[in-house]
Amino acid sequence: MVELGNFSPEERAAQEERLRKVWKTPGGWRYWTSVNNSEIGLWYGVTAFAFMLFAGALALLMRAQLATPNNDLVSAELYNQAFTLHGTVMMFLFAVPIFEAVAIFLLPSMLGARELPFPRLSAFGFWSFLLGGIFVCGSIFFNAAPNAGWFMYPPLATDKEYAGIGADIWLLGLSFIEVASIAAAVEIIVGIMKCRAPGMRINMMPMFAWYLLIVAGMILFAFPPLIAGDILFEMERMFDWPFFDVTRGGDPLLWQHLFWIFGHPEVYIIFLPAIALMAMIVPTFSQRPIVGYSWIVLAAVGTGFLSFGLWVHHMFTTGLPQISLAFFSAASEAVAIPTGVQIFVFIATMLAGRVIFSLPMLFGAGGLAIFIIGGLTGVMVALAPFDWQAHDTYFIVAHLHYVLIGGMFFPIVAGIYYYFPFVTGKKLSDAWGKVAFWLMFVGFNVAFFPMHFSGLRGMPRRVFTYPEHFGWDLFNLLSTIGAFIFAAGVLTFVIDIFRPKPEPETRNLNPWNAGTLEWTNDPSEDWGMRSVPIITSRYPLWEQENLQADIEAGRYYLPDAKSGKRETLVTSVLDAEPIQCLRVGGVSYVPMISALALGGVFIALTYHWWIPTILCAVITFIAILWWLWTGTAQIPETEEVDVGLGKTLPVYVSGPASVGWWAMFITMVGDGTAFASLIFGYFFYWTVHDDFTAGATGPGAFWPMVALVLFVTAWLLTIAARALNEKGPAGCRIALGAGILVTIAACLAGLAGPYVHGMDPTSNVYPATVWVIALWTVVHGAVGIVMQAYSLARSFAGRMTAEYDQDIRNVTLYWHFMAFTAVVTFAVLGLFPMVSA
Amino acid sequence: MMDERLTDRCRPTRNKRFPVPLCLLALVLSACLISSCSGSHSTLDPAGPEAAKVAQLFYVMLAGGAVIWIGLVAALIYAASKKHAHSEESAGRVILWGGAVIPTVILCVLLSYGMWLMPAIRPWVPDDQQVRRIEVTGEQFWWRVRYLDEAGRVMFETGNEVRIPVGEPAHFSLKAADVIHSFWVPSLGGKMDMIPGRTNPLTLTADKEGTYRGVCAEFCGESHALMAFTVRAVAPEEHEAWLAERRDSAPQDAEGLAVFLNNGCGACHAISGTAANGRIGPDLTAFGARDMLAAGTLPHTAEDIARFIADPGEIKPGVKMPRFGMLPEDDIEKIAAFLKELR
Amino acid sequence: MKSFIPREVESLWTLFTAPTVWAIHFVGCYAAVAVYCAKAATLDLSFETVRLALGGFTIVALAVIVLSAYLAWRQWSFGVQDPPHDEPTRDGRTLFQGYATLLLSGLSFVAVVYAAIPLLFIAECQR
Repeated sequence: MVELGNFSPEERAAQEERLRKVWKTPGGWRYWTSVNNSEIGLWYGVTAFAFMLFAGALALLMRAQLATPNNDLVSAELYNQAFTLHGTVMMFLFAVPIFEAVAIFLLPSMLGARELPFPRLSAFGFWSFLLGGIFVCGSIFFNAAPNAGWFMYPPLATDKEYAGIGADIWLLGLSFIEVASIAAAVEIIVGIMKCRAPGMRINMMPMFAWYLLIVAGMILFAFPPLIAGDILFEMERMFDWPFFDVTRGGDPLLWQHLFWIFGHPEVYIIFLPAIALMAMIVPTFSQRPIVGYSWIVLAAVGTGFLSFGLWVHHMFTTGLPQISLAFFSAASEAVAIPTGVQIFVFIATMLAGRVIFSLPMLFGAGGLAIFIIGGLTGVMVALAPFDWQAHDTYFIVAHLHYVLIGGMFFPIVAGIYYYFPFVTGKKLSDAWGKVAFWLMFVGFNVAFFPMHFSGLRGMPRRVFTYPEHFGWDLFNLLSTIGAFIFAAGVLTFVIDIFRPKPEPETRNLNPWNAGTLEWTNDPSEDWGMRSVPIITSRYPLWEQENLQADIEAGRYYLPDAKSGKRETLVTSVLDAEPIQCLRVGGVSYVPMISALALGGVFIALTYHWWIPTILCAVITFIAILWWLWTGTAQIPETEEVDVGLGKTLPVYVSGPASVGWWAMFITMVGDGTAFASLIFGYFFYWTVHDDFTAGATGPGAFWPMVALVLFVTAWLLTIAARALNEKGPAGCRIALGAGILVTIAACLAGLAGPYVHGMDPTSNVYPATVWVIALWTVVHGAVGIVMQAYSLARSFAGRMTAEYDQDIRNVTLYWHFMAFTAVVTFAVLGLFPMVSA
Repeated sequence: MMDERLTDRCRPTRNKRFPVPLCLLALVLSACLISSCSGSHSTLDPAGPEAAKVAQLFYVMLAGGAVIWIGLVAALIYAASKKHAHSEESAGRVILWGGAVIPTVILCVLLSYGMWLMPAIRPWVPDDQQVRRIEVTGEQFWWRVRYLDEAGRVMFETGNEVRIPVGEPAHFSLKAADVIHSFWVPSLGGKMDMIPGRTNPLTLTADKEGTYRGVCAEFCGESHALMAFTVRAVAPEEHEAWLAERRDSAPQDAEGLAVFLNNGCGACHAISGTAANGRIGPDLTAFGARDMLAAGTLPHTAEDIARFIADPGEIKPGVKMPRFGMLPEDDIEKIAAFLKELR
Repeated sequence: MKSFIPREVESLWTLFTAPTVWAIHFVGCYAAVAVYCAKAATLDLSFETVRLALGGFTIVALAVIVLSAYLAWRQWSFGVQDPPHDEPTRDGRTLFQGYATLLLSGLSFVAVVYAAIPLLFIAECQR
């Protein structure tokens, strides 16, 4: 057992002064340059919540229109824009971001970290999200909102006469937000794996962290297929490449595959974090540790995997062979098992404890009762024969709202009630909360339960009006009344949040008597943990004596900020042994400028303003380089620092031990998934056509093979540069220089295949697919060149040396993926046409 | 007329294959929640074997689901309100049995039931099998219906209305002309998408005479909500007679036809036996015999036909047909009367 | 086997072995029937053969999952100690890993069996 630190009150005051100065949130308008997780998390959450209210208002508009048959309150066009935007906003701008927000806000405190490893990346993600969200939502006020459904099926959504600028706003606005989600995923994964308090082994992690780890991993595999789909879609809309145009060999079903490979895991990406909140709340109010910790891990990991085997159940009526549908029915039933386990873990925990009933539990239990109905109807529609009837009817509308509102919205409200004191130091009102709950609970059921029946009685979804005499009238009227009651409940809740509340008489950091680490944080301080404790229990506040006092007395790690820099501990993945004192980025304009400039690229692209597009792209490029150059892989003034308790840790580490390496690895896994989706597209077109080249000449075998060899050579040169760097800068610089030249040649060779064979991407889907895959690889080659040049510049600037070699190591990691991408690309493009012929 | 047929369909349906408790449940459901009648457009009022088997599947799942829901909520309430804490061990067993083992068994049985049902309700009809098919093409926002003979040749074309013989499987070939649509007749069976570039097969059987309403189930544009059709199931002999009659029908009212042709209607619409041979809009041969107007949007009266001709976009936003309000009112009325009488 | 695979694995990745086997089996089955049904005309193969092959594939997948379950069971010291495995020691952590991996192997086993059920009932490429 380590000896805890012991400081006199004067020393402590001095430490606190220094910590306060380092972690201070700037005042005035510079407040918005803050990057601290507690600010970013809060902004993120409030913004997402505001988007939810907006999308909810759209829902009320729709319900008002459907209150009576043959109503003409809104036009068909406005209705179609409203339902498209309602789905889009709820999914992309509320459900996913709110959990990124909660994760960014809570994780550091839960894990005992001062900060997540990439605060500026979080800030970048937030500004991207805000800008993209406003852009997408604002469109409806100019009658320019997307109107082809949140699923954007071509050819309706590629029809420029029907789906005008709105479709581009959807594609580009959301691509931008997807970038933000992937940024958050990187932050969350690295944060959970590397930034836990010492001693918090993987069997000690709070349940929330386990869930978020899995969810972030899912984002990494779920969002990239949609990004790949967006690329194909926008290429068709902008340049007439016929990916979904059947007259030129395209196929609208490819979009459905890519969209739902994203779309179904998305549901679980939304649902798991909500269950994670419940997994924090239930033990607190049962006043005992969770029963079945390992079962929860099983459920989270199992759901994470199985959720990727469900996508075709959104395509049960597309006429695929029954046997294909059947596999997805099977997986869709299997996924109910881990979900059931989660529910029983809560029941078991409550059984083994003494339940204190409170508002968070009320919302949690109410949500569960609703969610179970959604789960049961989910088991029903998972069977293809029943789905053939239920698909695209109000039965599905009922099902998905039971799942999402019961499984996500109620738990998030429970979470807000639970964590409100953590954010503000004050509790929300019990009386208001009960009113809000009953309004929401009753309103919800009145609104959505009848939809099961209108659906079974044949009412299709996405209709702006419906005829009378089919027995739908009463159900729809009920739904509308219920929707307004539900909205009243939400309004009550919002008022309760913003209503002025009296200061509590006594300071109580842990009003619910919870057991997890986050409740040691003082919301009035910006530093997060006063000192980073050693963890020996899953519920340290219950089982580790004197923990709160010791943390506040600075008796653990990092009680001070002598370096004047923001520092947090990095620990090992499995056993959480301290390995590094990480310096994280502080207050900065760069994330905001990069995000706004990148937003500019997407927005200008929507309107085909080419010059602003290029201008914004250049600003983004410079801003990101500036950010990297000044903010990452800084050579520290000292090799090691004293982190307290007699331990000194290195400040700079590189390779797999460093957080930067992990961030690169994770980003590239996502990037590789997008690439795999494009390759899937190539083979998809091969299966749907008898002759997938449609008689067109391919890129030949020669140029692709040349490109393949050159890319592999450039990869070997990059590896050599890393190895030579350990011996001195000269060899490394030569290898990097050669690498740049070879990569340029490789990129040109990559494009030469389709170019010299005169492949016209607008003529048929085959040349279009070849071009898009070749371009993907060449663009990655170009990024590879930038990275090589960056490393070269860092070496010349003395910012990268034999000892401090993070840059070249991360670039080498990029190149491993690059080489893999290039080999697959050119082997497929060059050789597959010969094999299949 | 429409309403009359609906009340006609309002007799309680009895399906002998339902076990008694399910039947009871169904009765309670239809009594309490589904008010008087399921109309001709409900999955719970099946008129064919596919819809009947799926309705039965639904009732089985509903009964099971209700039991599970009540059990879980009762367990939740008990766990929240009991006086004494259970041991961790016994709580752990609750997870193992309640969360893992029992659901695994139930879901396995349910999945097998569903998998067995799939080929049972949609049996294998090879693409090259010589059967008479009905080719239905989804267009924004109506249905082009073509009757093919055994060799796949078009016998004749009609729109927004399908006739099938009772008791015999009707083989549909489903196509799309512009965007994705979905062909769905709830009382007969599940839906099947119509996807550009593909031909999806669907076989439906009606085992009772009657008129069944169908709709487009996939969002297909501005007036997706206004894209319905009817399936009329008639006795096989009657169906054969109708097929023969439709193959050589011709209009009777020469004056109305002249107005129709003079105003250029024939550029988009066809009427067999006349010079009108447009293929862009619905074929209007025997138009007067149809149940509804504008793909199930308006009742089939001369006034409504006239209203539609004058301003189709008013009734169906986004429709392809231009407005003809500039024609003399007299002409519009004549065309409407002519169409109303087409047999 | 003992000599090849250490009893205590120092990696988080082993947790994902069984679900990964499920994923490979699932994608394999789906891809096989998708390609077969799209290209049936050009292939000299009956659907019976495909079903049998996938049946064999299922048995292999189940065998691998059972193996992973055995290794996990071994890492969990054959269940000598009961959960919750929340001791702040390296042992506690490895026991937890073993137990969680064992549970996941069970789920993956069930999921693979489920995926094989359609092969019993559906005998054609019908739509």
